[in-house]
Amino acid sequence: MKPWQAFSRFRWWHEAAIAVMLAGLLVVAGWLMPTFLKLESQLLLSRQLWELAIVTLGMTLIVITGGIDLSVGSTMGLCAVVFGICFSATGSVALACTASLIAGVACGALNGVLISKFQLHPLIITLATFAAFRGIAEGISQGAAYSKFGAAFGQVARGSFGGIPYAGFLFAGLAVAIGVFLARTAHGRFIYAMGHNETAARFAGVAVDRYKFWLYTLSGFLAGLSTIIYVSRFDTARADAGKGLELDAITAVVVGGTSIFGGRGNIIGSVLGLLLIHETRLFVSRYWQIDELRSIVIGILLIVSVLLYRGLERKNRD
Amino acid sequence: MTWFKLTGLWLLRQREIGLAIFIVAITAVVGSIDRGFLTAGNWNDILVRSAPTAIVACGVMLVILTGEIDISVGSLMAMLAAILGVMISEHHRNVGVAIGVSVTLLIGLLMGAFTGLLVTVGRVPSIIVTLGLLTALRGFTILMMGGTNIDGLPIGLTSLAKQGILGLPLGVWTAAMVIIATAVLITWTPLGRRLYALGSSRHSARLTGLSERKLKLFAFTYTGFLTALATVVDVPRLPKIESGIGSDFELLVVTCVVVGGVSIAGGRGRLVGVILAVVLMTMIRPVLTFLDIGEAGEKWTKAIQGMFIMLAIIGDNLIARRAKRGFRA
Repeated sequence: MKPWQAFSRFRWWHEAAIAVMLAGLLVVAGWLMPTFLKLESQLLLSRQLWELAIVTLGMTLIVITGGIDLSVGSTMGLCAVVFGICFSATGSVALACTASLIAGVACGALNGVLISKFQLHPLIITLATFAAFRGIAEGISQGAAYSKFGAAFGQVARGSFGGIPYAGFLFAGLAVAIGVFLARTAHGRFIYAMGHNETAARFAGVAVDRYKFWLYTLSGFLAGLSTIIYVSRFDTARADAGKGLELDAITAVVVGGTSIFGGRGNIIGSVLGLLLIHETRLFVSRYWQIDELRSIVIGILLIVSVLLYRGLERKNRD
Repeated sequence: MTWFKLTGLWLLRQREIGLAIFIVAITAVVGSIDRGFLTAGNWNDILVRSAPTAIVACGVMLVILTGEIDISVGSLMAMLAAILGVMISEHHRNVGVAIGVSVTLLIGLLMGAFTGLLVTVGRVPSIIVTLGLLTALRGFTILMMGGTNIDGLPIGLTSLAKQGILGLPLGVWTAAMVIIATAVLITWTPLGRRLYALGSSRHSARLTGLSERKLKLFAFTYTGFLTALATVVDVPRLPKIESGIGSDFELLVVTCVVVGGVSIAGGRGRLVGVILAVVLMTMIRPVLTFLDIGEAGEKWTKAIQGMFIMLAIIGDNLIARRAKRGFRA
């Protein structure tokens, strides 16, 4: 084997590149703001990350199949309202959490049914449900905010074990489970096959429609789950929960090296992408003290990473 | 049974007739409950409100015809409104209406071209480009305006936008001209027919020697320019310019184009349908008001919008399936 072959056979170039960028960012940030790298403050600020992180896992699977789910943020809005209404009706946090999860699953299943039964493009279906879910949330809540869920429930997002927030453990567990599912099971490989060439996968006997249905349902379930953390963190449930979250999740997935056309990508990349955009946002908003810069940076990061990725792809082909 | 099904499908296919019947039916029902709905004042209001949507929908329709999508128009409109405001407001630069308006139109054109270049030359999917711009431009607008509102626009422009010429505001006149120009463009010029050709089959279009890049670049640039035009004629109507202008506007425009019968896969759809859909979508809010559901009703506007998109795409899909079955039989 010639040396450059070893070079081109190394399959983790993208992940390595993001890791280097992440390290570079941390070094620069630590140099400009010595307090930035403190472990305690990083762990404290990681609370802002977990909702997005959990949703990103589902989004990764969907983007690998060549689809997209624009409705996750709106699903969270609807789940939050369902949570609030259920809590004010029954007074039980457990029931409210269950209701939120059920609402999430229902939203995801609706996406899944429409996409798989009607053979419609996920982009346009989830754009429709993006409007519909948020609209229903606004309609039934009438702009009301529900709060005062009790101190015990607040611990879901604020509590920690050994310095690491509970939500961090939840995310780690989910990430490992989904990562193993994707990389080491036949189901996972079928998901890649669908993304590479859906028609071919169909002819090869992959139950494409069933996979699609379950993946969008999973995405809805994860949105319901992260709503619980979100509501616990703010102690408020309102129709505007998770606004704009879909963009952050898609950015994390795409920055993490998953091809937007499907068939390529993995969970490790998404986790690295997630960390990269999280640290970028933290750095930008703490260094310049301007919150609007965050959305500008994320928007540009999304476009530039796809642009670079497409450029590299073309070079490889030539 | 069969004739019922066939009529339903025919109506779905003739989207324009279906929409027109729907608009007339709603008008009749709401008008019989409250006569105020039928007054000229109310319809004038609906026309004025639908003008910017109609202008931008003409551009987004071309983009969707080529098989792409643009969801950045709302944020672009906010940015252009801020630029326009800063330039012509008497509390800011005050460089004069002519210069301010032309610079705004130019920036809109350039932003559209930039989006188009990223999609065609950069080969980034249009949904990704415009999703990124959607947040980036909004953030930029908020940053530029720094939490303040802009007022004090020149009286000449605001009165043109409000009272207008011959009783109709500037926006309605502009919308009419843009609609006619776009109709001529897509029906009678080679460029317009090529947009359809590209959307219905990229492969055949390439074999025929059409340039996919140029056509898509044109569609995006046209959209950017029309967004600037809509900003210039509609924003001076508002009491002040805020950074929240045009939020959810992109969704409204895409809804109108899709409900108007333009296939999201590209290559199929007529302008009349889109314009009727714009009127129908603009009617939702006044209808809710006149039905006296009040505040509670307004909060449902977005849900109704989402439902309309879903009905439109499912309807389209049923037709497509039916057509396929027909070919096989």
